[in-house]
Amino acid sequence: MLPVRRLVAVVCGLLPALACAAPPGDGQAADLTALSIEELLAVEVYSASKFVQKTAEAPAAVTVITAADIKAYGYRSLADVLNGVRGLFVTNDRNYQYLGIRGFNRPGEYNSRILLLVDGYRLNDAIYDTASIGGEFFLDPDLIDRVEVVRGAGSSVYGSNAFFGVVNVVTRRPQDLDGWELAAAAGSSDGAGARASFGRQLENGAGVLLSVSGLASKGKDLYFPEFDAPATGDGIARGRDKESATRFYGRLTGGGFTATAAWSERVKAVPTAAFGSVFNDPRTQTNDAQALVDLGYQGRLGERSDVAARVFYGGYFYRAAFPWDQPPVTVNKEDAAAEWWGAEARLVAHLARHKLVGGVEYQDNYRQDMRNFDVAPHFSYLDERHRSSRSAVYVQDETTLGERFLLNAGLRYDHYSTAGGTFNPRLALIVDPKSATTLKFIYGTAFRAPNALELYYSSPSLGSKPSGALEPEEVSSFEFVAEYRPQPNFRLAASAYFNDVRHLISQGIDPADGLSVYRNLGQVHAKGAEFEAERAWPGGQRLRASYAWQITRDQDTGTELENSPRQLAKLNFALPVWGDALQAGVEVQYMSSRRTLAGGRAGAYTVANLTLLSRHLAKNLDVSLSAYNLFDRRYVDPGRPEHVQDVIAQDGRSFRLKLDFRF
Amino acid sequence: MATLLPRLSAGLLLCPLLAASHAAPPGEYEVKAAFIHNIAKFVEWPAPVANTGKFTLCVAGEDPSGGAFAGLHGKPVGGMVWEVAMTGARANLRDCRVVFIAASEAANLRRILAALHGSQALTVADSEGFAEEGVMINFYLEQNKVRLEINADAARQAGLKLGAQLLRLSRVVTHAREAQ
Repeated sequence: MLPVRRLVAVVCGLLPALACAAPPGDGQAADLTALSIEELLAVEVYSASKFVQKTAEAPAAVTVITAADIKAYGYRSLADVLNGVRGLFVTNDRNYQYLGIRGFNRPGEYNSRILLLVDGYRLNDAIYDTASIGGEFFLDPDLIDRVEVVRGAGSSVYGSNAFFGVVNVVTRRPQDLDGWELAAAAGSSDGAGARASFGRQLENGAGVLLSVSGLASKGKDLYFPEFDAPATGDGIARGRDKESATRFYGRLTGGGFTATAAWSERVKAVPTAAFGSVFNDPRTQTNDAQALVDLGYQGRLGERSDVAARVFYGGYFYRAAFPWDQPPVTVNKEDAAAEWWGAEARLVAHLARHKLVGGVEYQDNYRQDMRNFDVAPHFSYLDERHRSSRSAVYVQDETTLGERFLLNAGLRYDHYSTAGGTFNPRLALIVDPKSATTLKFIYGTAFRAPNALELYYSSPSLGSKPSGALEPEEVSSFEFVAEYRPQPNFRLAASAYFNDVRHLISQGIDPADGLSVYRNLGQVHAKGAEFEAERAWPGGQRLRASYAWQITRDQDTGTELENSPRQLAKLNFALPVWGDALQAGVEVQYMSSRRTLAGGRAGAYTVANLTLLSRHLAKNLDVSLSAYNLFDRRYVDPGRPEHVQDVIAQDGRSFRLKLDFRF
Repeated sequence: MATLLPRLSAGLLLCPLLAASHAAPPGEYEVKAAFIHNIAKFVEWPAPVANTGKFTLCVAGEDPSGGAFAGLHGKPVGGMVWEVAMTGARANLRDCRVVFIAASEAANLRRILAALHGSQALTVADSEGFAEEGVMINFYLEQNKVRLEINADAARQAGLKLGAQLLRLSRVVTHAREAQ
């Protein structure tokens, strides 16, 4: 920060006649009291010096990332946001990004043990159960107001997938935009993106928000030593990392009702020759589309209770092309289409010492189709069409016991047409939620129902057979959380947990016939401890630092899980360099080494990112310049079963310039 | 000389931009102090202040404002002048016109409100959940702007009348909202 200040000081010193900027901190607030309340409401202040307090009462360890963080650290995707959160880690195979939590991020799986909610809408799809966090996530990151990461077993309220945690994305409201926003970004790998959004709340209270955005990136040429032979272009995948995406989002609010509709589509070339496909073939790509329509109502019911209800439609459409050498070379296509509708209702009642929550949910997955075929000569390997449903009922009671204790007890019953019923409780005792030191003792169980991929994806010609009946996976989780908040702008948190994971659904080979099949096979124990410090200063500096230690053990083999780092450390520091005119956001992330599928190690690494943000550079214009992997560290993520590569090299240094204009 | 000229013109451009944009965002508590000053004009107290000419703002607990509240001291308000008193949480707050309850007093909140019961003090705070507990006016931040929530029941019980304009511009809280 010093060089910039010095530069400005030097330049200003050269030109005294121009009456340059006074140093910060002078009493510029002198006549604020002359403003009216309406005018005061429009005044923007330095970023929040306080954290959301409700996390103290939550029956879990919670981290909240805000829109200000997304700007300050130049986050390009939900994956970037989550990778900055204590204990979370994202790996990238240049097709998708996979979210790890509590030591779990098994190669070959698709983000199914974390539940992703967007304004309460469940995003995990009805075939792969995937929580999409990369370019295929339907929401432009600029439309996020905050991301709440709630750790631990959450099935007692949220049902399936809330296995190790819940990620709740809250979007910005029409009144938060209050006009037009235009954004444009350009990156150093020939990538570019643009967004146009409009939001406004009308006089009558109704609000409208519309947004369209797109991105396209050519990607860099990548070298894969595994394919370094003259026949495969010396291992260089040329332009095979390209990506493009389009996103539409609309929202209407008024009178307690909210209507949301969205459509997104992402196309990603796959440079890794995954699934035995031909290396460097331009036809290799995956296409992910998401659709949603969500109608919700929130309102009062009598004096002491609130009611919320929604009906929704969801769609997920996957189309992939992987050319393979039969011989001859033919394009193999994989399609999946899931469509569902559902309804939910929830009642919250505030009684004398109790807060009662009760709810019901129903979802009809009326289309769960999967196909796999060769184009020419045509050959169908798989053509599965299914339908399933789930229903659930839950209740939770938060009891105040005297001045010092809060007891949170919840129970939920889920029934799946495919896998039967399961009960999941959670019991949390929260000590002194209102004082500087808060302790939480939490026990809960969670489950994940077998998904359509695991239940139905099989083809003798592809060497796999149907799984028959599968049970839900289960986890029993014990957690202790301590939080210390000596001041509103200073928070220390520590937690320790033990997870007993049973009936893990895993793909294995049946020794009887050599066919691959999904079974409830594994049992894994995981334990860990996490520490976090958050601090904000009146001058606008914000710090978040965390360290997570974790260890996983497969109870059958006695080994550690693959892609399970023992240690994660994160540092985020945002500081004003020159008031609001220039802020710097520094991010440093450390991950210890991880075991790979072939028994090797993906080495430990430390990566630093830097974002310089100028808010109000000109009227209504924000400009940011980000450098990712600032020191150009070489690091790798473990490969997956579909890869020849045991490890996959990640991006070196790259840059992004972004402009945000409001009017 | 040939190299100095472009540098000078860059300076010409840079300085006014930095100067103008730096003046834009005031501190959070300067704005909150201005709100308190303004809000006082929209509140009708049941009885006039004792004839001291002072309009007292008491800050209960650790003053978070970095001097912004103290900056109101001596400013004219409705024919009187502000008197700002930094008090411990245990001090007698009943004679204060406005009591700002700092976040440091979260654990003592119920006790402070009980002690103020039957007094005419307008209670103000800026901590999540305080309005639900019975604080009349609670500040919160939204998109880096200061917003108000009002517990109208609490004000009514103390005999204070909040102006319609104030209610229109605020979020009205009656009982505990849903936490998580």
